[in-house]
Amino acid sequence: MKIKFLSIVWLSSMLKTRIIPCLDVIKNKVVKGVNFKNIRVMGNAVEMAKYYSLSGADELCMLDINASYQNRKTFIKTVEAIAKVINIPLTVGGGVSDLSDITDLLNAGADKVSINSAAVKNPKLIRQASLRHGSQCIVVAIDGKRHKNKMRVVIKGGREITKRELISWAKQVQSMGAGEILMTSMDTDGVQNGFDSNMLKKVTSNVSIPVIASGGVGSLEHFYLGHLTKSTGLLAASVFHSGKYKIKTVKKYLSTKGVPVRK
Amino acid sequence: MKKKVIGLIDGQSGNIGSINKAIKDIIKGKPYRLKIIKGHFNYSSFDKIILPGQGAYATLMSNLKKLKIIKPLKEYLASNSSYLGICVGMQILSDWGYEDKITRGLGVISGDIKKFRNKKLIIPHMGWNTINLNNDDTIITNSFDKKDFYFVHSYIFQNIKKSDVLAFTLYGQKFPSIVKKGNIYGVQFHPEKSHKHGLNLIKNYILKS
Repeated sequence: MKIKFLSIVWLSSMLKTRIIPCLDVIKNKVVKGVNFKNIRVMGNAVEMAKYYSLSGADELCMLDINASYQNRKTFIKTVEAIAKVINIPLTVGGGVSDLSDITDLLNAGADKVSINSAAVKNPKLIRQASLRHGSQCIVVAIDGKRHKNKMRVVIKGGREITKRELISWAKQVQSMGAGEILMTSMDTDGVQNGFDSNMLKKVTSNVSIPVIASGGVGSLEHFYLGHLTKSTGLLAASVFHSGKYKIKTVKKYLSTKGVPVRK
Repeated sequence: MKKKVIGLIDGQSGNIGSINKAIKDIIKGKPYRLKIIKGHFNYSSFDKIILPGQGAYATLMSNLKKLKIIKPLKEYLASNSSYLGICVGMQILSDWGYEDKITRGLGVISGDIKKFRNKKLIIPHMGWNTINLNNDDTIITNSFDKKDFYFVHSYIFQNIKKSDVLAFTLYGQKFPSIVKKGNIYGVQFHPEKSHKHGLNLIKNYILKS
């Protein structure tokens, strides 16, 4: 009976799985680097954002990966420039430490702001931000990693393992008003062996807000496996920036697998 | 020729940047003028009014009250003038909103704004979903039928008259994604975030009357 009920719910939704290219940005350039080493410039952020918006991205994510005081001004200008040329939702994160950072980014044209370390250090920020701006624009980015047989929350790009247990943190950010979780597994990120299905399934089965899967896409099948984790957004960077796949190619593939996508 | 005046209400409920830019692009070189409404206004000096909204029903209503926009807006709507409400700007057309606390709405389209009923759904309903037109319309023409638009909301129009629903969308249940009564339109999705179909919808709203 329960199965039958669930399948009705499933059938009666035509919500599309979102394909989300992610731009790691320094000032106004999209970069690719492993742990800040060997940083390579992939292109101009505004031009790449425009290209992805036109070529079928369902949303765009951009992160200030070197949010220093000097770089921040240029980054905010880049957010403004991007917001002017795209008409799909834009999530912006990286270096968000307090309410005024969130306000600045929303004023610059971001539709959603993603908070990571600042939320781990001060969870109240999630509640304050969602009360002020609405849950719909507050994304909490969670970086997870396995440590001593437990899934833990990590910060500083995976270099610092916190005491927080991943699933209880995911539940907590939901209860504090996060509208969405951007879930990156540091065990799979950058390796291109696929999303961390096990970690993602644990998260999606314990929260009722949307989860974006991030970290590890290398092939078309990986997108499909990501969809099977019940993540409603699938985020990828390298496979798009390198030109390995076009967004259209990914959507066509998912479509043949019966996954609803926006055409 | 006298220019038509489009009012864009800034109800301090989210950023109006995208919609502002979309309207400017559309009216460029055409006999239209855009005015941002931030407080009391003379309702008879506008040909069309657009109210975008994000966040909570109660917040938008109390903002509009503080800004002294409620009274002229009610007069404007009572004269069956052209209106487009986006997201919460659509929801406040109802009698009552049940988000956070029970709040009286503008009472233009009878019904209530309540949460999605199905407890198993991922909430908010966030992402691209399809609209299904119930009938052809002069502004929201058949060309929009079965197209995808960007949604982000947890509450929906309920107890609404069938004749006021122009389009519906499926998410665990059928819910109204476009409402219409006379010249008053409301869309639950965000056309300003919905790429080309969204921009076309705004374009049609402004240019067709």
